[in-house]
Amino acid sequence: MASQDSLWYKDAVIYQAHVRAFYDSSGDGNGDFRGLALKLDYLQDLGINTIWLMPFFPSPLRDDGYDISDYRSIHPNYGTLDDFKAFLDAAHKRSIRVIIEMVLNHTSDQHPWFQESRSSCTNQRRDWYVWSDTDSRYRGTRIIFLDTELSNWAWDPVSKQYYWHRFFSHQPDLNWDNPQVRDEMWDVMKFWLEMGVDAFRLDAVPYLVEREGTNCENLPETHEMIKELRARLDREFPGRMLLAEANQWPSDLRAYFGSGDEFHMAFHFPLMPRMFMAVKLEDRKPLTEILKQTPEIPENCQWCLFLRNHDELTLEMVTDMERDYMYDEYAKEKAMRLNLGIRRRLAPLLDNDRRRIELMNGILMSLPGTPIIYYGDEVGMGDNVNLGDRNGVRTPMQWDGGWNGGFSSADPEMLYSPLMLNPVYGYQAINVQSQKRFDHSLLSWMKRLIRVRKSNAVFGRGSIEFLYPANHRVLAYVRKLGNDTILAVNNLSSAAQAVELDLKAYRGNILIEMFGRNIFPRVGELPYLLTLGPYQFYWFRLRRI
Amino acid sequence: MPETSILSDDFIRELMNVGEVDIVVGVPTYNDAAAVGQVVQAVRAGLLQYFPRARAVIVNADGGSRDGTQELVRAASISDLNISADVHALRTLHSISTQYDGGPANGIALHTILAAADLLQAKACAVISPESTMIEPQWVERLLNPVIRDSIDMVLPVYRRHKFDGLLIRNLIYPLTRAVYGCHVREPYPSDFAFSGVLGSNFLSQDIWKQEQGRSGTELWFAISTITNRCKITQSFLGTKARPENAPTDLVKAMRESAGTLFASLRLNRKRLYQMFAFGMKELEPVFLSILTPETHAELKRLAELPEDRFEFAPDIWVRTVYEFAAAYHRAVIGRDHVVQALVPLFRGRAVTFLTQNREASAEEVESNIESLCQTFEHEKPYLLQSWNGGK
Repeated sequence: MASQDSLWYKDAVIYQAHVRAFYDSSGDGNGDFRGLALKLDYLQDLGINTIWLMPFFPSPLRDDGYDISDYRSIHPNYGTLDDFKAFLDAAHKRSIRVIIEMVLNHTSDQHPWFQESRSSCTNQRRDWYVWSDTDSRYRGTRIIFLDTELSNWAWDPVSKQYYWHRFFSHQPDLNWDNPQVRDEMWDVMKFWLEMGVDAFRLDAVPYLVEREGTNCENLPETHEMIKELRARLDREFPGRMLLAEANQWPSDLRAYFGSGDEFHMAFHFPLMPRMFMAVKLEDRKPLTEILKQTPEIPENCQWCLFLRNHDELTLEMVTDMERDYMYDEYAKEKAMRLNLGIRRRLAPLLDNDRRRIELMNGILMSLPGTPIIYYGDEVGMGDNVNLGDRNGVRTPMQWDGGWNGGFSSADPEMLYSPLMLNPVYGYQAINVQSQKRFDHSLLSWMKRLIRVRKSNAVFGRGSIEFLYPANHRVLAYVRKLGNDTILAVNNLSSAAQAVELDLKAYRGNILIEMFGRNIFPRVGELPYLLTLGPYQFYWFRLRRI
Repeated sequence: MPETSILSDDFIRELMNVGEVDIVVGVPTYNDAAAVGQVVQAVRAGLLQYFPRARAVIVNADGGSRDGTQELVRAASISDLNISADVHALRTLHSISTQYDGGPANGIALHTILAAADLLQAKACAVISPESTMIEPQWVERLLNPVIRDSIDMVLPVYRRHKFDGLLIRNLIYPLTRAVYGCHVREPYPSDFAFSGVLGSNFLSQDIWKQEQGRSGTELWFAISTITNRCKITQSFLGTKARPENAPTDLVKAMRESAGTLFASLRLNRKRLYQMFAFGMKELEPVFLSILTPETHAELKRLAELPEDRFEFAPDIWVRTVYEFAAAYHRAVIGRDHVVQALVPLFRGRAVTFLTQNREASAEEVESNIESLCQTFEHEKPYLLQSWNGGK
């Protein structure tokens, strides 16, 4: 896709989808690239302009594809390379860019590289992974999957040494100190870039390098390696983008932007749980606090914001007190908890409360950054916490109320995952087809929200200035870009609120509500009084006429 | 509508911004800058430590301080405007302040705090004295938790005091409250206490705010009102209560605030005392027959049958009654504890007469009446000896 604007990712509205879960064109029970291509019109109509695909490479699927066994092919369940190319072309024709996953940190233990590496201590690929005679190295390193792993080392009975793994033991870490590994991974990325892929979401980047005496996260050597990748990307594929997955505090995350020479974008992980916390506490403090702690980033960089994704709602970047609160409020049942997080979708987290779902999406779309919508959340899909691991938030997309929810023509027993069947979130109740029929459905509302967001570049590129009204239940901020100014006012409370905003700096401006385009009173000398219904939000465009 | 007349528009605007809360901690002040900062910091620490998830507000009702008291209270706020690395709070904590008219008067301050708690729909409210300089964060928990957790209506404090501190409480307020109302609360005139939102709203609706009890001694009135309304009351040990360095030495004023209020409450409850006397006479008749002489018993029965407006428990019959009880106790005609308990309703009857007779009396007249009673006791002393040695 021809890149007209190298900063395109700042204006993006990203839709995160899993090929396996989206649409099954072959009737084998798994979604596939042909199916995904068939649904591009739906995504175009929704208004998104970028798709982020979860891993679709050959894999034993012990970690939903994040355990890759071949980086240059497509998992047979999802189709062929030709199917992928056809999908990519079809997306580009609709001005939809495509981000794919690139798991740099580790492979599957079934990957031929690892099979060779473990075959003997003298194998030429032995040094492609991190081996040790003892399991006592890098003791300062935390274990990420606390629920399943006891150590970051696993014993290999074949070559009689331990290998290093930050995630599951079936996912050995690559040795990024080895130049051969770095060259090989760049070749892998080139393979997809030459095909036309617009961007990579680089998985688990803080963990690429290990050093004794450190916590093996965010090391300077890791940043050097990312800079090297970025330089190669800019040189050979200008206009393409790198998105970092680094679940870290903002101060640690900042380093991944470098001087604008590492990642273009990074997920703002600490913000996400605080959005949920703020709405439950009915208090803007958690949100404004974390955004105050968020450092400035280079001009060409951007935060990626999300409410939910394919993983658990991570609570690693909160305090113990905040984590306890989140568990008590959002994961009352033990089954809802996984690792340090909550494995639930957006709608169930918010008690299927349409007003709160709208408010959260409104905040997502109006804070500085590029928003991501997780597939199915645009219609309010539910989750199934009984499916184990994070599979409960990865169930088939619910297209209609018919056979298999319109996802697949296969027998239900053949589906990769059971469908949602309960009377609240089941496919008969929640599906695209039924919501397309009504202007007031969540789907229709999401379309309007995305349309308004895309109507003004301020949202993606503008500065932010928080107003601090005395009413702490109201979150208000001004976004500015050139002569364009937008005021966002959010009522985080379940009750109606009155708020007085200090808009002296905008005296004389008329407020135009962006959804209904209605005119509100001109800003004068006095504090600007607004009343908001429960969980209501306003976006105003300020105009001096 | 007391809450609309006592609160200023500016204060209502502040309350609007606070919104509905779970907890109000009220701090009545007047020129307390020397101590109030320390007190509100301890309150804030207590709220953060023990009620981190609760929606709480510190409300300062100030009587017109000119020493920066209000600014010190406001500085305890926790919001996104004053983030501190030392304070880890889940949510915003407002600390607001207002100056009331007609002050300084503790009663008006309490009225203001009650009105604020009522408007904010607080589930529990604590009042902390700015003189409580020995306050620890756990005071907040010990006062509020019984209300929040155990649905107690009112929590009164128990302190560790210096042996010569709190003399008025120890010598008058506590024993008299205990005798009259049969409720063993050590600090019926509390400076630190807590109550439920429902009880607070009930206080607010009472018609006392334009009377003297609504200006001074109001805390004592709160406590007595809670006791007499049979609300659930409990005591929490808070810790050491230090005598404030600038404690007033005006004993007359202190007596007026404490004993005056207490006596006034007795007046208010005269009818109830009379009913309790009459009821006791009926219920405990078999016990009285074993303690009293037939003559005394017959006289008391006659009194209990009189209409309230003609009721008079004369000093001579009161003295004979007391002496016969003393003799019965000495001879253990029934269980001694039962003897003492049986005297309670009769004392109530005597109290009704004392209060009625001294309603309009000056202090000198009251003293004279007490002297007269004492002389009757002395005059009838041979009767005590006779009863003591003989029998009924």
